[in-house]
Amino acid sequence: MEKKISILVVDDFATMRKVIRNLLKQVGYENIVEAENGEAALSVLKSRKVDLIISDWNMPTMSGYELLKAVRADDELQKTPFLMVTAEALKDNVVQAVKAGVSNYIVKPFTAEVLNDKISQIFKKTAS
Amino acid sequence: MDVDSLIHAIDAMASDFLLLERGTVDVPTAGRLLNQLEIISGEALKLDAEPMRRLSGGLVALLENVIMNGGGGEADFTALQKGITLMQEVGSGLTKTDAPRGKDVGEFMSEITQLAGDGFPEETPSAAKEQEGGGASGLQDESLLRDFIVEGLEYINEIEVNILNLEQNPEDKDCVNSLFRPFHSIKGVAGFLNLDDIRELAHRLEDLLDKIRKDELSVNTDVIDVILEGADALKALIVSLQKKLEGHPSADPEVDLEALAARIGDVEEGNHAEKGVKRLGEILVEDGVITRETLTECLDVAKETPAKKIGEALIAGGKATPKQVSQALRKQISQASEAASIRVDTSKLDDLIDMVGELVITQTMIRQNPVLRETADEKLLRDISQLGSIISELQRTSTSLRMIPIKQTFQKITRLVRDLSKATGKKVNVAMTGEETEIDRNMVEEIYNPLVHMVRNAVDHGVEKPAERMMAGKPEAGTISLKAYHRGGTIVIEIADDGKGLDAQKILDKAVGNGLIEAGAGLTEQEIFRLIFLPGLSTASTVSDVSGRGVGMDVVKKAIDKLRGKVDIQSVKGKGTTFIASFPLTMAIIDGMIVRVGKEKYIVPTSAVRLLLRPDRSECSTVAQKAEMVNVRGTLMPLIRLHELFGIDGERKKPWESIVMVVDSDNRSKCVMVDEILGKEEVVIKGLGDGMKKAKGVSSGAILGDGNIGLILDPEGLFDLSETAMGAKRR
Repeated sequence: MEKKISILVVDDFATMRKVIRNLLKQVGYENIVEAENGEAALSVLKSRKVDLIISDWNMPTMSGYELLKAVRADDELQKTPFLMVTAEALKDNVVQAVKAGVSNYIVKPFTAEVLNDKISQIFKKTAS
Repeated sequence: MDVDSLIHAIDAMASDFLLLERGTVDVPTAGRLLNQLEIISGEALKLDAEPMRRLSGGLVALLENVIMNGGGGEADFTALQKGITLMQEVGSGLTKTDAPRGKDVGEFMSEITQLAGDGFPEETPSAAKEQEGGGASGLQDESLLRDFIVEGLEYINEIEVNILNLEQNPEDKDCVNSLFRPFHSIKGVAGFLNLDDIRELAHRLEDLLDKIRKDELSVNTDVIDVILEGADALKALIVSLQKKLEGHPSADPEVDLEALAARIGDVEEGNHAEKGVKRLGEILVEDGVITRETLTECLDVAKETPAKKIGEALIAGGKATPKQVSQALRKQISQASEAASIRVDTSKLDDLIDMVGELVITQTMIRQNPVLRETADEKLLRDISQLGSIISELQRTSTSLRMIPIKQTFQKITRLVRDLSKATGKKVNVAMTGEETEIDRNMVEEIYNPLVHMVRNAVDHGVEKPAERMMAGKPEAGTISLKAYHRGGTIVIEIADDGKGLDAQKILDKAVGNGLIEAGAGLTEQEIFRLIFLPGLSTASTVSDVSGRGVGMDVVKKAIDKLRGKVDIQSVKGKGTTFIASFPLTMAIIDGMIVRVGKEKYIVPTSAVRLLLRPDRSECSTVAQKAEMVNVRGTLMPLIRLHELFGIDGERKKPWESIVMVVDSDNRSKCVMVDEILGKEEVVIKGLGDGMKKAKGVSSGAILGDGNIGLILDPEGLFDLSETAMGAKRR
């Protein structure tokens, strides 16, 4: 598993970003950038390349769903794997995200292992 | 007709599907398939190709199910494959003149309904597992908690500002959103940090706001109140967390989460309308005086002529008689009084009850005033007696203010039993009776720990494992019954299990083995049962997580004693055990025996006094020249001379001339010598202040009916004091 990949963590709650960062570190991902909402994430994405976006659904200014749509509509970014973090496994939300091209979704709260599994799944797919 | 684009979409699906690894559907592919299916369904609708539409609908449901279950299984995969093949066949049928093969589609549909038809669990099994394991190990680190506290409190401030905006602009969805988000974020992080109370509460509030966002609930004062209350509670929880981090171990927040959750539920269900005051028109409609249509009509009329009230409009229009309207008005007013309640700071309530206590005492003092006794002024006497009855009514009312039902405690215990039964692999149900029984708010917390201990014991040692129960011919699931009722001035709580009962022989053997009693002491079964309250006696042969390890029932007994309560055990081998604990309703008042030593008056808690006697001279003896003993019905008990112990002048020096009280405390019994018993009185307990906290033998003070001050004796401290004094004498 390539653990050098760069990951963009998007969440408006700073503590939550830190939680995810810690979990990622537990399973060996160190190269992490953060953004506090979809808009901020887009400007990060403009300035640098990331290999994976992990974004919360519910954020002010620009939600994770809007970010997903913007990423998928962008010629440069559209192939970037996108892991959506949701609070509940609500069918409507999940299906909506899946249709918009999310790579996978993960339900809060999750363990480092589950997060690692989801990331591995995503990269196994893109590699094959 | 665009059959081509339909066929194209089906082919795209088929090729997407071909690329899948056998057996699993990954999320991006599922997304593409769903998008294709959306096109197919749309085209099929235009073409009026019903079987195709049904087929695509079925596949959508199947796919959604697969997504929610994290990839789906072999069966889902096969069904999808079959569905897509069928779709291709039906699709090619559309271009030909043959009728679409409705029969095959029907068969397929019933096949996949079984796969997808179990409904879609809101939380998928994998998600549930993730949540159970939640709180990711290693995340309980302090710096994260500190971050959460700081950010969480900021968020709550934000909530407080935003809620005021919402109150002013109830329709503004942005306001709702800006409230929703902080709760949502707090919930999310709390989930990771194992802060279950916070997560649960934030979740409830988030749900409430979600309903507002979806227009399922309109914003009114009840909603605003409950959100504010929720934000306060969250703040309290977070602050207590902060205190705990700073090293205040007992900083538990005073938040009644269950009551709050219930209120949120009420508000969500719109129960506020029921509880609040109904509009006059509504009452009339309910009473069948007018129809709803008439009401709407008249409301319109009343709107046009603002001076007219709805009642007047109805009467003027001949829709209702003045009598009916006034009846409805009366109803409305009585509802208003039912609904009116205010929240009061508990410390104010405590002050009020204290003051009323003082008032009662002052009143007694006035009554006993000699001037009053000698007066012949009938009016004065009448007024005084009137004052007395008002004061006792006032006392009753004010004490009742602080009473709350024991229900919450029972509910907490129910939850505990559920957890315990899971931990022990037993099946246990809980039955409750008398949960409405009221008890002083200040007592609720105090009695919780001993109750928990007893319940733990019942689950752990009482109720047998399912297999064992079946063998004994009992239902597989055991039952723990919680029962509460008032008896005299006490609340009685019974905890009964239908388990294996206590083994008297085993307890006896253990007690003899530990040297707690002598073999052949000839105890009754009841006395043997009571042995389990002795320290160092746990009959469980294996130590479990739940109870055992010898700290058990003696702790319970101690806690109950401290609360001036009593506990009894009834048990039938093979049938079950019942613990019967009784507690005073309040800790503010004590039923005390007033005794006199010389000029001093003391109060002894009546619950600690076993008997009073004047011993015969022959029953008093002195051991080793110093230790005085009294033979109380065959048992020798040490004698405490209160006047010596407290260094005051006693009137009588010989035990056989004075009164001896047999006082019990924590499995010790001693005789206490006093000059006179003055009577029994309920006294209001007064703290002695910090300076006197360390004074042994006395716990607090009280103002007696005659206005004098009496010290309340603490038997346990008194015994310790006498033992140290005895030791000093010997040396």
